[in-house]
Amino acid sequence: MGIQDIIEGKKQWRAHMARVKALPPDYQIVYKEMQRYFFKVGPIDLPDGPLLPGIVDFFEEGVAAGKGVLEIIGDDVAAFCDDLIKDSRTYADVYQESISGKPGTTEK
Amino acid sequence: MNFWETLTGSDLTREWKAFEVRAGALPADYRAAWEEIKGRLFPYSDFTGRNLMPILDSALGLLEETAADGQSVHEVLGDDIAGFCAALAGGERSRTYRDRWREQLNRNVARKLGRLGG
Amino acid sequence: MDDLTEMLKGTLEGCVLQIIGSEETYGYAITRRLHELGFADVVEGTVYTILLRLERNGLVQVTKRPSGLGPPRKFYALNDAGREELATFWAKWEYVRSRIDQLKEGGR
Repeated sequence: MGIQDIIEGKKQWRAHMARVKALPPDYQIVYKEMQRYFFKVGPIDLPDGPLLPGIVDFFEEGVAAGKGVLEIIGDDVAAFCDDLIKDSRTYADVYQESISGKPGTTEK
Repeated sequence: MNFWETLTGSDLTREWKAFEVRAGALPADYRAAWEEIKGRLFPYSDFTGRNLMPILDSALGLLEETAADGQSVHEVLGDDIAGFCAALAGGERSRTYRDRWREQLNRNVARKLGRLGG
Repeated sequence: MDDLTEMLKGTLEGCVLQIIGSEETYGYAITRRLHELGFADVVEGTVYTILLRLERNGLVQVTKRPSGLGPPRKFYALNDAGREELATFWAKWEYVRSRIDQLKEGGR
């Protein structure tokens, strides 16, 4: 469960990070900063969702097209990130729901 | 911290122990930050503490990922761990923090890419 | 023309739907098409976030195909829901356009 699954030496995660490391340096820098931002904001589908691998797919295409990373996502990396998770609930959202006492979240 | 000790006996204990094992693998400054994060998030918990688990998991994930990257914990969390925790839990103060994270992201990217270009 | 970003925001998704609707295509080709049209400020990343949203909302059919060079590409085609969405977009566009034209011409 949770982010630990993708963090803790899991094969899939290692394979994922190996793909990141194969990217040119500018792509790697941006990828890592983006990932850090996502960890803070905490979209709930981050650990097993298609978001992170999808970004690597997209970046690999940019590399193949011979472009620099900011050329393909623009200067405002944060705006790009927010666009990517616009429809995702975050852990903070879930938490806020739990304390506002919405149905289905109460403890036994 | 007493609160966490009261968790013993619940099914959260196992999950909790797994957190501690992971935290134990972190560098010392990160471990200290983790202790502070736990303390700061404590007021946000409900009776069982269950509602905090995903948030703690996410915070620990951030620490693990950045520690592996060789960054100092200060670079990652800044001075205001209390504010950081408030933002993790969401609610009123989190909006300004999200803005700060946004700026931090763009600033870091600009700085690191600049360094790359020499 | 510069600085169209804000004005294009609500319509870019429709443009992408239209491009996909005319033939099955992939992200970078869509961006190129938009550039050719004169929307030079649109970056690949913006198109990527739109495609992600279209996929999540079930408006497109996605097929992964190997590409000549570089990684496999995701090709997008409209499904029925996507075609419906596209028709709605044009209807809305027509409405907005006619109202604004009317405003400009001083009618009421």
